[in-house]
Amino acid sequence: MPFNAVASDEASLVISEANNKLKMAFEAVLDAEKAGANVSDLIIQLNSAGVLLAEAENAYRVGVFSEAVSKAEECSMLADGVMGEALQLRDSAIVNAQTVFWHNLMFSIFEGAAFLFVIFFVWGWFRRVYVKRIVNMKPEVVSDDEA
Amino acid sequence: MMKLEDYKVVFASLGLIGVLLFASPTLGLFLHLPGGEKFSEFWLLGPGHMAEAYPFEVRAGENYMVYVGVGNHMGSSAYYLVYVKFRNQTEPLPNATAETPSPLLPLFTYKIFLEDGGTWEQPLNFSFHDVSFKDDRCLVGNLTVNGITLNVGKPALWDSENKGYFYQLFLELWIYDEASRDFHFHNRFVSIWLNMTTPI
Repeated sequence: MPFNAVASDEASLVISEANNKLKMAFEAVLDAEKAGANVSDLIIQLNSAGVLLAEAENAYRVGVFSEAVSKAEECSMLADGVMGEALQLRDSAIVNAQTVFWHNLMFSIFEGAAFLFVIFFVWGWFRRVYVKRIVNMKPEVVSDDEA
Repeated sequence: MMKLEDYKVVFASLGLIGVLLFASPTLGLFLHLPGGEKFSEFWLLGPGHMAEAYPFEVRAGENYMVYVGVGNHMGSSAYYLVYVKFRNQTEPLPNATAETPSPLLPLFTYKIFLEDGGTWEQPLNFSFHDVSFKDDRCLVGNLTVNGITLNVGKPALWDSENKGYFYQLFLELWIYDEASRDFHFHNRFVSIWLNMTTPI
């Protein structure tokens, strides 16, 4: 009985640790996703870790503590790997987002300025044509005679 | 004929529209339109992958199967838990109005990670063992869920109105909340009624 009690406590601790690591790994994946990274591969890995943790918890419920510990440890390792990859993905996504931002900003400024210049040029040409047309118009004389 | 001032307004408008169009790639990085409704799907299908032929008349020693599924439409990836629980007629179900889960302990857990728009489906196999009948009482000793056998020791009294010993296998959906760093009941559950019968 004492052996089982120790094993149960140990298993509970390892499962709890794996649970926390999985939560942290998921949060890291969410951060990477918010930064614009493609997290499909990481979600697949998280699911594998989730299956392991669920198996660990199910083994714990039926009292197979050694299996619970080994599955939970496997889950922790997988979660650690996912977290590392997620942080890398997030960092590269942030760099990519900054590049895209500056590219878009330059595009907006230069293309917008070029467009305004063209519009201004066309407006100048149009005004000259308009004024010339008005000046060249023949005046019409309207009679004041009463009917 | 339009006056020169009117044409000026037309050109100014064209200039403004053009500038906005060229600025749209940059503005798009900051302006986000409101998305659709955020929700999760949760379903239970019969053995033929249809909403029919669910197990109902059950007996000890036989295997039964249903499919459980989850769909994520929460706008981002989500971390779900599905708890498999088992009750008799006197034990509480989740309360949809109060949005509280059933206090019964889960017999089996699924842990699911889904991207936005993703779905997940798995078979749920279950069987009953050590089922005894005495007078107007039925006792389910062990319940096996996906190969995991648990001692449940669940009694049910004879329901004279509906004529059977009724149990309910139900599944709750929980979701991980990033803000509180914990799971909370997602106020969704699915269930099937089971009538425990004597072996043939």
